[in-house]
Amino acid sequence: MPKKQEDMKTKGNMISQWLDENKNLEIDGFIEKNLAITEKIRLTMEDKGWKSQDLAKAMGKNASEISKWLSGMHNLTLKSIIKLEIALGVDLIQVKTDTEFKYVYLGTIQNQEELIEKVENYEETSDSQTFEVAM
Amino acid sequence: MNNFATIELVQKYRKVTYYTISINEETTLFQQFINKHTNSNYDKLYHIIRWIEVIGDKIGALDQYFRNEAEIADTRALPPKGVDREPIYVEIDDATEEEHNKPNNLRLYCFKANESVVFLFNGDIKTSRRAQDCDSVRPHFKVANTLSKLIEEAFINKDIRWNKSYTDIIVDEHFLLKWE
Repeated sequence: MPKKQEDMKTKGNMISQWLDENKNLEIDGFIEKNLAITEKIRLTMEDKGWKSQDLAKAMGKNASEISKWLSGMHNLTLKSIIKLEIALGVDLIQVKTDTEFKYVYLGTIQNQEELIEKVENYEETSDSQTFEVAM
Repeated sequence: MNNFATIELVQKYRKVTYYTISINEETTLFQQFINKHTNSNYDKLYHIIRWIEVIGDKIGALDQYFRNEAEIADTRALPPKGVDREPIYVEIDDATEEEHNKPNNLRLYCFKANESVVFLFNGDIKTSRRAQDCDSVRPHFKVANTLSKLIEEAFINKDIRWNKSYTDIIVDEHFLLKWE
């Protein structure tokens, strides 16, 4: 729920102060990610020298539909994003997959022959082995 | 009656510096906007305020992120829209946790001096297709156009000047925008 708003006396941080006092993580995420996608589309189109009509043509959509998508305030579906990615030939969203394992170089073991001999002569401790405990 | 207005800093971000206006020493227009809509239109207001922060911090005040509301001067408004389309915003229903796409008919009028400086005025819920036909936004739309024209003239008369990099404005301490 929003907090009751009084005149903000501090000059120079009115916007941040209001957002801090009325925090909404869902809207924050929506605006930030939506604008990031829209900006990536805009920059890719700029690189290609494309206008909205070119993107509309590539996607088989009308220009007004594309303008709506590029406004940054439209709730793009995942399906729309994929269609945009195919038309533009870029990844608009990237999802990192979890790494199950990876090889890490830790260094080289010196005197390997000596170590191999120790490994071969190694005997597993038996369950029945008893130990003397110093009292 | 003669009116006068002062320019007040709202917030400086990496890409955009936002200013607002105080008319006849009253609460600034942007403050009035926030005060009125914080409780009654919280979600719609939050979308606009967060939008202002993100473009201010990361993108810059590009044309496509504003809508044109010019009548006698180059007035703009937030949120932006597609061609002949209303902007929407996502509202989460707390009870069902369902997402609803709703039209954002809250308007904040502004003047974009360039991609680095934007003046934020006042606004309200728009209930007609044309701002001139809507009783709630018409006064804000008219004031925004009047102020935009005065600011444009102040740039021409060098009462408001650009810094060397055109990223901020320089205004004399006692400068007032005046009109009847």
